[in-house]
Amino acid sequence: MSTGIQEPQKPKPSATPIDILNNDTAKIYTHIHPILVLSLYAYKFQSIVAEPVPALSESLIWLGILQIAYAAICLPPTGGSAAPVEKKKPGEKKRAAPSKIESGVNGKIIPAFLSLVVSVAPATPLLAGILVLFGAPITTHHAHTLLCAAHISLLTTLPLVYVHGVNGETWREIIALLRPIDEVYGCMIGTVFGAWLGAVPIPLDWDREWQKWPVTIVTGAYIGFAVGKLVGGTVLKGKKIMFD
Amino acid sequence: MDEDEPLPSYEGLAAAFAKAKAEKERDEAQGLRATTGNAAAANKQGEVHFKASHGILIAFFSWILALHALGIYLFTSGFLLTRLVLEHRSHCSVPPIDVAGSYTPGSPDAGCWHPKTFDKAIVIIVDALRYDFTIPFHPTEPEKPRHFHNSIPFLYDTAVKHPNNAFLLPFIADPPTTTLQRLKGLTTGTLPTFLDAGSNFAGTAIDEDNLIEQLHNASKRIVHLGDDTWHALFPGYFESNLTHAYDSFNVWDLHTVDNGVTEHIFPLIHPSNTSQWDVIIGHYLGVDHAGHRYGPEHPAMTAKLNQMDDIFRRMVDQLDDDTLLVVMGDHGMDAKGDHGGESDDEIQAALWMYSKRDRFGRSSPSYNIPPATAKERPVSQIDLVPTLSILLGMPIPFNNLGAPIEEAFIGPKGNDFQNLATVSRLTAAQIHRYQQEYTRGKGLDDTTRATALSLWDTANGAWTSLGGSKRSTHDQLHHISSAFLAYQAETLSICRALWAEFDVPRMLHGVQILALTLLTLGLYARGLDGERAELTPILLTRGIIGTLLGAGLGMGISFAFSQLPREHVVIYTTAVGSIAGISTGFWHIRRRLVSPLPNSIWGWVCVTVTVALSAGFAANSFTIWEDEILLHFLCTFGILGALSSFRQKNSIDRALGCYHSILFVVLTRIASLSRLCREEQMPYCVSTYYASANSSTSATWQLAIPYTVAFLLPNFIRSYYKGTRNFQGSVVTWFDFALRFGLLLSAAYWTLDTADDGDWYPGYGEMLKTTKTIIAQLVFAIALAFGYSTFAWSKPFLNIETKTRGATSSSDQVVADGGTSSITILGYANVHGSRYAFLVTMWFLAITLVQKPMGAGAIGIAWWQIFSLFEIIDTNKLSDTPVGPVVLGLLGSFHFFKTGHQATLSSIQWESAFIPLRTIKYPWSPLVVVLNTFGAQILCAIAVPAIVLWKQPPKKKGLLGDVAKAIGTHILFYAVINLATTMWAGHLRRHLMLYRIFSPRFMTGALVLLTVDVVAIFIALGGARISFLSVGEVFGWTG
Repeated sequence: MSTGIQEPQKPKPSATPIDILNNDTAKIYTHIHPILVLSLYAYKFQSIVAEPVPALSESLIWLGILQIAYAAICLPPTGGSAAPVEKKKPGEKKRAAPSKIESGVNGKIIPAFLSLVVSVAPATPLLAGILVLFGAPITTHHAHTLLCAAHISLLTTLPLVYVHGVNGETWREIIALLRPIDEVYGCMIGTVFGAWLGAVPIPLDWDREWQKWPVTIVTGAYIGFAVGKLVGGTVLKGKKIMFD
Repeated sequence: MDEDEPLPSYEGLAAAFAKAKAEKERDEAQGLRATTGNAAAANKQGEVHFKASHGILIAFFSWILALHALGIYLFTSGFLLTRLVLEHRSHCSVPPIDVAGSYTPGSPDAGCWHPKTFDKAIVIIVDALRYDFTIPFHPTEPEKPRHFHNSIPFLYDTAVKHPNNAFLLPFIADPPTTTLQRLKGLTTGTLPTFLDAGSNFAGTAIDEDNLIEQLHNASKRIVHLGDDTWHALFPGYFESNLTHAYDSFNVWDLHTVDNGVTEHIFPLIHPSNTSQWDVIIGHYLGVDHAGHRYGPEHPAMTAKLNQMDDIFRRMVDQLDDDTLLVVMGDHGMDAKGDHGGESDDEIQAALWMYSKRDRFGRSSPSYNIPPATAKERPVSQIDLVPTLSILLGMPIPFNNLGAPIEEAFIGPKGNDFQNLATVSRLTAAQIHRYQQEYTRGKGLDDTTRATALSLWDTANGAWTSLGGSKRSTHDQLHHISSAFLAYQAETLSICRALWAEFDVPRMLHGVQILALTLLTLGLYARGLDGERAELTPILLTRGIIGTLLGAGLGMGISFAFSQLPREHVVIYTTAVGSIAGISTGFWHIRRRLVSPLPNSIWGWVCVTVTVALSAGFAANSFTIWEDEILLHFLCTFGILGALSSFRQKNSIDRALGCYHSILFVVLTRIASLSRLCREEQMPYCVSTYYASANSSTSATWQLAIPYTVAFLLPNFIRSYYKGTRNFQGSVVTWFDFALRFGLLLSAAYWTLDTADDGDWYPGYGEMLKTTKTIIAQLVFAIALAFGYSTFAWSKPFLNIETKTRGATSSSDQVVADGGTSSITILGYANVHGSRYAFLVTMWFLAITLVQKPMGAGAIGIAWWQIFSLFEIIDTNKLSDTPVGPVVLGLLGSFHFFKTGHQATLSSIQWESAFIPLRTIKYPWSPLVVVLNTFGAQILCAIAVPAIVLWKQPPKKKGLLGDVAKAIGTHILFYAVINLATTMWAGHLRRHLMLYRIFSPRFMTGALVLLTVDVVAIFIALGGARISFLSVGEVFGWTG
């Protein structure tokens, strides 16, 4: 894959990699976040294997909260730059202080929550459709497939919607893998690739409980998320994917 | 030069000349202006040059095919098991050991080695009589009996009611469970080896000692009725005036053989005629054919079993006191009614023996009821050989490994352990004699059978200590008999292991040849820069020189060292020599070599997918689930195509690419609904290919599929021609009339077939059969005769339109200025692609006919996907990458499963041989089976050249070389799979699942590679010649 990734030839102003917010909380939490997400999954793993539908539904809520926290703490919202809140006029200092929590809720949590709704609502059925195309059962296990898709969409699209909004052209670039790689984009690519690889152990005749649908896919997605986030935010940051 | 600008200076002149030259070249390239000078001569030269280059490409790929064939042959001859066949015969007067007591051996009339029990025997084989057909159905849960249950109760009832006259036991076959192999086992008492399995279509005479020959030599008169396989095995042993043989391969026909046997057997059993014969062998095929045709879960099976039941009742009524009646199945059948493999259902047959006098017994009263399942008290099929030999007073055939069946020798009271011990000792002694000769013949030492030898000594010691005294107790005798049988069992298991003996050097050399050929082909397909058609001659010449030198060297070596196997040495040196020769060719053109490793994401995905698939064949799970893995990979390619299309700058390319990519994925998923599950996929798989999991006929609703294909698909595919305005000329007639008519006829064929199967019109069966055969032949005539004539003689699919100036014309048409009007060539944009792809549509029709209704849908989808793939490749500009040929390889492999096949012997749809013919005719019948089995791979291989020809300008240089590159890449895909499956089969040769999974997958891979080689060379590359000549005739030739 390495030959397919090259430095961008002409970085357009609209297509620069996303940097996380320039404050200490963001810089620390961005590293804690994948650990929390993986821990959540590891903690829930036994119950997901035993009872996929209730366990996946429950962990979906926790994952949503973690992802909202991640977006609110670490990521610049749509249209915003890496350091948007640092512009303070000298005289306004005192007035800004009491509304800090309020602006935090209004400026961060609500957009993050909206991102969750905007991303999960269309992405889940779409991803579920793709899962079925890739061989998920058509007539049975609908709840399983939908929940699997919901997990993948929370992992992939929520941060992307938060930082990029819903601009059509931007999303074409995202889907076409034309954007420069960054942490958030790395999450998406890593999650999808992980979910793809997650199909590998299903046919093996090991007779393990965890081989059942859709445990391996979700597991692959979570691991891929963490790896993609790490690699996208460090080694490959700013690179572009070249197909030819 | 339209603009007459003043050109004063030298630079101006040079510039004007360059401009004019460029315009002329452009026009010439577009075919608008005839090449100047002696254009006709140059054109002629171009054509000759093309034909020569093309011929050399054909020769080059044929040479690759030959190397593949040599490698596969060498591996196969070492891999498929071999056994030393001893010529020794047992003789009536020479017992294997001193005969106990006062009995004098040597008289066939009294019994050669042991007093005989019966004078005569009637041996009836009911092909594919599975054990559970013969025992009453006891539902464990509220479950209804199936059609095959409780339909032949007579055997069980007699065994229960008259235990001294009859017994019924499970009768376990040694795989492969094909009739020919089984008959060898049932008459010689030896184990089959895999090499023989393939010869079911043309049986060869048995040259080992066997029961039929012993009977014949003892001047017994043997009558044979039924399956003609017997005559291939035992030519000349049967009473010619009483014997009646019938063709065994017409599985459509349930009754001819059976009625023939019944018609001739009852007069012979009649007391007035019993003096004419000593042994009758009757072989009924109806049950087997009902299984193949309908599956066991069908009323036809009930009817057939009832008919058999009735026949045995009548036989028993007429039987005299000294005649033994044996009824047995030679193998079972799987859930669909097919056989050949080694699953439980396939190996569990039934054995029933009957005598009017009280001859049989049980050693324990609890044995009076026949076993409830075939897992209890089973006997092996080879056990029939010593049993029948001793009962009829014959010597036991020399190579026998079976044991006497207890029920036949224990006596009516169930306590004649003296007799049982004597026959066990005789049998064991013959086995011992055989093993000594075999060890000597092979030059083996005794270490491998040390345990067996010690068992032999123990058993003999126990026998000698009794001194043959009459007063020995039952327990002692029982113990002795068990000791001899323990020796027999141990020897049998040693032989099973020993005959899994592989010729490892041959296998290794075969793999080496395949690997070196793969490297050569890989370098040729992916590692050459520039025009392949120019570089092929030097490679071919060097290759041929190398081949000759290698062959000469091999001959020399094999003469110098005569102990080396000549065939092996010559094949190996020839192949290695030719690869060495071509390597010098590559060295000669080394400046044109580039790294064959991919340099793009697309290329890496292709390599990864091929290697991942190949590596997966090392695991039985991935081999079993190959169909699902292919679905996953094909979807991956489709999704990647969609992503890549999103990257296109041109919004039309983007939209078209996305549309076709998504269509491709959706079609793949729809096709994946057609499934024929292999046994190992159960219970996670539901078969949909036939009416039910226990059937091999289509459901009535499935008949809608071929009609849907006929009505809709030609319209869909037509649109791929209309998009570039190539729907012109003869292609219109073809799509709108011939192809659609052919597809409708094909649908009609399957309707008639279902009508015939279901007996919708009783009494008209014969008429239906004749009509459907004629229809099938007509479809073949439309597809291949009419199709090829059109393909060969039609012009490129173009039209010329003259428009007045001002009328806008689409950008992909060529416009020539002509004053006030302009000339437009409609269809110019895709001259090559549309012309060649006609070939794909013809073969589509031929392949659709030989697929069952569900398969017609799958192949139709494959056809549609192929055209979508052309568009995906074109809009994403991928014709130079390996994507097209590799995806076609995946697609072909995928639809192999979707047309109701699996990599198992039992999934071969033999009955497809009878679609266009009513009897077996060589070479057509095997060809039709190949077209049915590998139809998907064949269709995809034919489509390969169109990948690089789709929407290319008519006079683009190096197109022929691009075709060679694409074909090389496509063959490379299958060659990698073949090498991998070959290596895994060789490496895992001691694996428990070798015969069930790895060996069939290896055979499938090898056959697919050879088939695709032949199709790619002679149909695809051959078709490209016709297509290029036709385009060249209109647009001229480039140098």
